[in-house]
This record gives sequence, C-alpha cells and structure tokens, in this order.
Amino acid sequence: MIDTIEKEDPVISEEEAAQYDRQIRLWGLDAQKRLRGSRVLLAGLGGLGAEVAKNLILAGVKKLTLLDHEKVTEDSCRAQFLVPVTAQGQNRAQASLERAQNLNPMVEVQADTDKVEDKPDDFFLQFDAVCLTGCSKDLMVRVDQLCSQHNIKVFCGDIHGYYGYMFSNLGKEYSYVEEKPKVVKAAPDSSDGPEAKKAKVDPNETTMVKKTASFCSLKEALEVDWTSEKTKAGLKKTPLDYFMLHVLLKFRTDKGRDPDPLAFPEDSLVLKQIRDDVLEAKTLSSDLLSDDFISYCFSEMSPVCAVVGGVLGQEVVKALSQRDAPHRNFFFFDGRKGNGVVDYFGPN
Amino acid sequence: MVHLVGSLRKELADSLSTCSVLVVGAGGIGCELLKNLVLTGFKNIEVIDLDTIDVSNLNRQFLFQKKHVGKSKAQVAKESALQFCPSANITAYHDSIMNPDYNVEYFRKFILVMNALDNRAARNHVNRMCLAADIPLIESGTAGYLGQVTVIKKGMTECYECQPKPTQKTFPGCTIRNTPSEPIHCIVWAKYLFNQLFGEEDADQEVSPDTADPELAWNPEDTAARATASEKDGDIKRISTKEWARSTGYDPVKLFNKLFKDDIMYLLTMDKLWKKRKAPTPLDWQHLENSACPQEDSPVSGLKDQQVLGLWGYCQLFQHSVETLRSQIQEKGESAELVWDKDDPPAMDFVTAAANLRMHIFSMNMKSRFDVKSMAGNIIPAIATTNAVIAGLIVLEGLKILSGEIESCRSIFLNKCPNLRKKLLVPCILDPPSANCYVCASKPEVTVKLNVHKTVVLTLQDRILKERFGMVAPDVQIEDGKGTILISSEEGETEANNNKFLSDFGIRNGSRLQVDDFLQDYTLLVNVLHTEELERDVEFEVVGEAPDKAPPPQSKPEEVNSITNGNKDSSQPSTSSKEKKNMEKQERENESHSLFIYFISLIWDLF
Repeated sequence: MIDTIEKEDPVISEEEAAQYDRQIRLWGLDAQKRLRGSRVLLAGLGGLGAEVAKNLILAGVKKLTLLDHEKVTEDSCRAQFLVPVTAQGQNRAQASLERAQNLNPMVEVQADTDKVEDKPDDFFLQFDAVCLTGCSKDLMVRVDQLCSQHNIKVFCGDIHGYYGYMFSNLGKEYSYVEEKPKVVKAAPDSSDGPEAKKAKVDPNETTMVKKTASFCSLKEALEVDWTSEKTKAGLKKTPLDYFMLHVLLKFRTDKGRDPDPLAFPEDSLVLKQIRDDVLEAKTLSSDLLSDDFISYCFSEMSPVCAVVGGVLGQEVVKALSQRDAPHRNFFFFDGRKGNGVVDYFGPN
Repeated sequence: MVHLVGSLRKELADSLSTCSVLVVGAGGIGCELLKNLVLTGFKNIEVIDLDTIDVSNLNRQFLFQKKHVGKSKAQVAKESALQFCPSANITAYHDSIMNPDYNVEYFRKFILVMNALDNRAARNHVNRMCLAADIPLIESGTAGYLGQVTVIKKGMTECYECQPKPTQKTFPGCTIRNTPSEPIHCIVWAKYLFNQLFGEEDADQEVSPDTADPELAWNPEDTAARATASEKDGDIKRISTKEWARSTGYDPVKLFNKLFKDDIMYLLTMDKLWKKRKAPTPLDWQHLENSACPQEDSPVSGLKDQQVLGLWGYCQLFQHSVETLRSQIQEKGESAELVWDKDDPPAMDFVTAAANLRMHIFSMNMKSRFDVKSMAGNIIPAIATTNAVIAGLIVLEGLKILSGEIESCRSIFLNKCPNLRKKLLVPCILDPPSANCYVCASKPEVTVKLNVHKTVVLTLQDRILKERFGMVAPDVQIEDGKGTILISSEEGETEANNNKFLSDFGIRNGSRLQVDDFLQDYTLLVNVLHTEELERDVEFEVVGEAPDKAPPPQSKPEEVNSITNGNKDSSQPSTSSKEKKNMEKQERENESHSLFIYFISLIWDLF
C-alpha cells in the first residue's frame, strides 16, 4: 500500500458516497474526508476494543491497526464478536482481522501481535490517534505523554463489569468547528421565501464556528490532589467512578490482570483492600466508595462495552474530523444506573 | 455468597439461557441489539423485519455486507449473529409484525419484547400487542447523535400511546398548489406531480392551480361557489393530469410549458394572492433554451449530488427524467403505475428538477439533489455509534427486568452534549399510565369531531381508525340499540358501506361507535361530535388535541426539537397509498420519540 502525504484526496468515490450517505448527511463531507485520511492505532481487542474497532471501521478511517499480544481463550469468543469460535490459541488481533476487514473493505485494517510496551517510541508517530484498552496505568501514562508531544490524539478506555470509562487527551490547543444556524437578514428579492422578514433564522443555512479546547495529560488527570479543603469541598459533585477507576487500575498493576470471576472471593478481598489503600493515599475516607461496586466490576459486560465503545468511538471520529465539541476529559458509565457522566479531572 | 458467571449473577445468567425474547426490527438498532443479546448470553431470540438490505445501510448495520444487498435483513442478521455464537437459537422472519399470524398467543411466548423500529404504526401495534399479552416492552429510537430507551409495562408505566405524539406535518392544499413559500412545499408538489403523471392518482394530491383557495374570495360563500363552478365547467379538472399527459405523449416540453408557464400565468390572474406576496414568474422553454450558455465543468470537490445546477440544468434534468419515466411506464403497459422511490434515479431526478423549477418560479434559492433527496425521502442521518449506545442500554434494561427489578428500570436519554449536571446519558423515572389513555385505560374512550354528512365510512376506517388510532383490522358497531355493523374486518363483508356517509346509518351528534381490533385485543369507544365547521383540508379532529397544522420551521436535527417526527423536514404524507402499502423500504415516516419526553429530560433529570 503506497502511503501518500496528502491527507485529503478531494474526490469521494461514488461507492463511498453511497455507503457513507447517512453519515455524510450528519457530519458533512469535510468531516468524512478527514476521516478518510486518518490512521488510528487500537490497542487491545477485548470487548471494548472490538466495539471501537467496529465503530471506526464503519466510520471510514483510512487505516486501523489492531495491536494485541494476547491469545484467544474460550472466554474471548463470548466476549467479542470479531473472533471466530474456532480461533482459540491464535493471536487475538490476527483472529479479529478478517471480520474487522469485512465490516468495510474501503478501510485498511492491519493486525500487529506485539506487546504495546515493547513498541519503540517512533512506532506511535505514524498515527493520527491512538486508542488504548486493557493497558496498565504506567503504560498509558507513558504513551499519552509521548503521543501528545507529537500532536497525536490519545484515547484510553476500559470496562469492568457494569462500569466503564473513557479518557481523552487532544492536546493543549485543540481546535475544532461547530455548525451553528445562520442568522440572515433577508435581502428584498432573494433567500428562501418570497415573504421578506426583517431578520430570519433560516434553519437550513448554517455557519461553521471555530473553537478551541485544552486538555491535560493522563498523568495530571489521575494525580489530582485531594488534600486541600477546596478540592475536598468539590467531592460532592465528583463522580465516584473516578476513584473506582484508580482502584481497578491499581488491581491491574498489582496483579497483572483484571478481577477474575473464577477467583471472586479472593479478588473481592483484594479489591476492598486496594480501595482502602487508594483512598487513604488520597487522604480521603474509605467510606467514600462503598463495597457495593465490588461484585459488579468483574469481566467485560457486552452491553457496557457497546455503550462505552459507542461514546469512545464517536469521540475519536469527532477528534479526527475536528468537528463538534469533544467531551472533556473523562466519560464514566454506570451500567446499573444507566448514568453517563462527562467530567474534567486535572489542573485548572 | 455471590456466584458470578462472567459479569452476571448466576441466577440471571441461567435465566438467559432458558427465556425467549423478540426483537422487532433488524436495522440500525436491531443489528447492534442482536449482537449484544447473543454476547450477553441470551439463547433464544426471534427477530422480525420486512425490509431488505440497501447499500446505505452499510455504514451502521454491521451484520450486513455489500454482498448481502437485496437480501432479507432478518435472515442475514440471524446468519451473521450465529457466526459469533453458533449455539444461539435464532429464528428470523422476513415479515411485517402487523401480520395477524403474530397474535397475542405468539407474543406470550416471550418474556420480553424489544422494539428496533423506525415507524409509528408498527410501534403502536406492538405496544398494543404487548399490553394485550402483558409482556414488558422496551421501546427505543435514534436520530443522528440522539437516542432514547424506555420501558413499557402494562399497569405500571405509561404505554407508548399514553402521551400524544406530534403527528406528521401536513400542508394545506392551497399552499402546495398556489402559494408555496418554502422549498418543502415545492418538493411535496413535485412528488404529487410524479404520482399524477406516472403513479397512482390521488384526489388529495392535486397539482393544478386551486380555484377554490379561500384567500381568493372576500366572502366564504364565494369560495364555495367558485369550487362548485370549477367542478361543473371543469376546464382544468375534467381531464386528469395523467390523461392530458398521455394525450401529448408525455412530451416533456409540452409538460414543462403547461406546468411552469401556463399554470403559473393562470395563478397570476388570481391577483388577490399576490397583493402581499411576491408573484411567481413563469418560465418559457424556448426562451431558456435560446439563452442557455454551455456551462464549464468546474472541478468538483464536493459530492456530485451536492451541486446546485443552473435553471437550464434543471430544465434538461426535467426533460431527461420525463423521457426515462415515460419509457418505464410504456414498458409496463397501458394501466401501469410507478411508485415513487427516492432510490430510483429517474424518479429522484424528476422530483429534483420539478421542485427546483417551481422554487425558481417562486423566488426561492434552488436546492441540490442531495438536499432535495433528504426532504423528499424523509431521510434521517444515522451513524453506528448512536445505535450502539442505545442497543447497549436496551439490554441493560432487559437484564433488570429479568432479574425481577423492573422498578429500577428507567427511561434513558442520550444527548449530544452533557447537560448542566454533566450528564450525557440521562436516566429518568418511568411515568405511571395516563388515566385517559385511549389505549391502555381500562375502558378507552375518545371523542372525534367530524361532519356526519360528509364523512364516508371508508374515511372512518382508513383515516381515522387505522391511521390516526393505529388499528390494523377494525370492526365497528354502532351503539344504536340494534348493534348495527358498520365495518367488518372480514374482507368484502361491508365493502358496500365504504362510500356511504355516516349519516346514512343514522349516525349523528352524540352517536357512539364501539370499535374492536381483535388482533390487538383492543376496544375503543368512539363518541361522535358532529360539526359543520372544520378547517379547510381537515377531515376530522380528535377532541382534546389541536388540529393538525404545519408548525413553524424547526431547528436542526441535533438541537432540541429534533427527535419529534425524526426529521425536521418530514413533509405531508409523502406517500401515495400504494407507496404506503409497498412498505419494503425504510424511512417511511422516520420518527423516533416524543418531543414531550425529550423536553422533560432536558429540564428535569433525577439523578
């Protein structure tokens, strides 16, 4: 495949126009062209990864690289829909490749079986956006720092039972456009109607307004200081999912895996302990996060993957097309309550 | 001690393998939903959809590939889902859920029904079937970036029809025929013209100047007189548009001059109309042809369809499309009728051309084929991610129901941006049933205002009972002490009554009709309120509701008003009755959910 430098090939083929018709009518042709020129790295092909892969491939990115060193287990087949039931023992990225490619032959889909942590820095530089699932906290922090230095957009996400989150870092100065209705003064003999009115908002005419937003690093987002009275006062409005995320990331770091339903009793105790440790380290009371979440944070629930994968996928699409306000900078989903919250964590 | 199977409690996981669920619709939401159900562990799933796969589905209906275009959605969805879970027991029906085969007994097989529909008629019907069978129903819809899920349980929550839903926007005949002021009026006119020339002629889809326009007369009596006069001497009306077109051999230039010159000149004689409005300017084919200059082909960076042609360009498009449609109709034979289809290029070309020519005549900026197609075809923009989120929420609500926790179910709204409470997904407590609901109240009753001397039985059956009140096969008895049968759902039995007036049966002010739909297990008592004063073009009014009127132009789909009838531009019944019957294509009506609920979610979230 010959890579050309130009981001946007001006001509959309008839095939693309027909297939992408319903989304071009939503986000416009310019956005579709930008997607068409984008290269994305997706790490982790678990339940969430498969959802994100599907969403990005259907959206019509130029290239999607599926990076996963894990092997397909019996559980993997139940967990995601890209891996055939016969693929046990194969590499997860490779096993997902065929179905992923069939979702949209116009996208170049590639499988890479390496570990994320083994990739050299310059590996990441070929992408416009990087999406990390199933990675340890340290790895995510490292990749986030590296990518944002090079203006590569970073996304992270994970699912733990009924709970899920996504994080994004689009850089210190991310600019995008929003489509707003145009307010026009009707000229006497033109515009969309013979009845001239003084000033008319024509619902069909819109204008693009430029905006900017600033994002902090994952490191800064995770290391918010809760010791001061001021931040403690803000706790009431803070989604507890944020702290739950810390607990689950620490579990992953300490144990090298996620909580396992087959080890439910032992892992529950570990989770409780980690909850106490994490909150204590943040000088917060362990009452803040009750035990309740523990029995609901095991494994990856398919519908929760679908919800978070949908939101995350759309954030990637928005960022690549630089259109519409990005969620800043976390999205937390509680599948038990049906609550989906966007909140910012980081320095002001 | 908690015993988990994957993420789920063991009892829940076990129940998934024994229960049966029904998915109604295998499109955008349906594909995502099937995938989620199968991966979550549901073993027995039935899915039904009457549609076939179209290339425009492929950006989001991910169970389908290009090679499947033309095949049954339900069938292919089943086959694709089986790929990732061969042990699942999936039954697919390429059929309409309104088919009487799917009766109350059928619905009772399921522990849960999930809608993944795109039209109100089917939603109303499934609503009633689930009420009749007393099965919980999860209702949902999406449009662009927005979506909604809710749970319906008889006796516990509102049913789908408890809240009045905004009805499809309609435009008065005189606006379409005489005084269009917006592109949509011209587009509706062009679709009517298509039917008049090539399709099923419909008396409600006249395109010629309307001499009975109330604006023309100072006195209402004049209007009536004029209407009767024109019917009598019928210079314009006696010969149908189709007959006239046939007599000219569907000559495009003759057609052009009649529609865009002669008829416009006739309109100009109705000078009262133009006192406060800019008058239309007629077009002359010869003149346009003479002054046309060859257009340079400028390199196009946009879609070909997004170009707005010049006036002569639309003249040529009109000519070409008429010639193509003419040969289509000639191939089919003498009494051939075409059905308008946005995906049929000459049909779409014809409407694009005719609408634009009319827009130009009435001083409106012309529109690209791309934009005309959106409006004429009631297209709702759609993407994979919104459907993915909503389908995920549907399954989560379903699991609550299966766990016996239906009180924890919620209506959930997906916004484009987080609200003031930072919520992107907004759960709301479910409302209890409405006491006056004409569907789920214990003895549903409704009052309808109409003129018993002017309303025929067929109108009562088709427009009122079927269209407005969502019945599929109504049986009507007059409560006159004799139990006179006015309408029987058995084919042919009461056909003789169709063209008789209601008053012929003794129906008058205060009469009561008992209407049954046995398939839906639904009985509705209709009180008749006789009136001689209905608004023009209005056949009946349901008491307690504002009459159907064209509301002011709505804002863009992503903003507040969007999820009403789905598309801001959804126009007058954009279908001929044949097109409605020919319900093979999606986007028939395109509405997703009620404006009410959406507004409430914005102002008042509970968490």
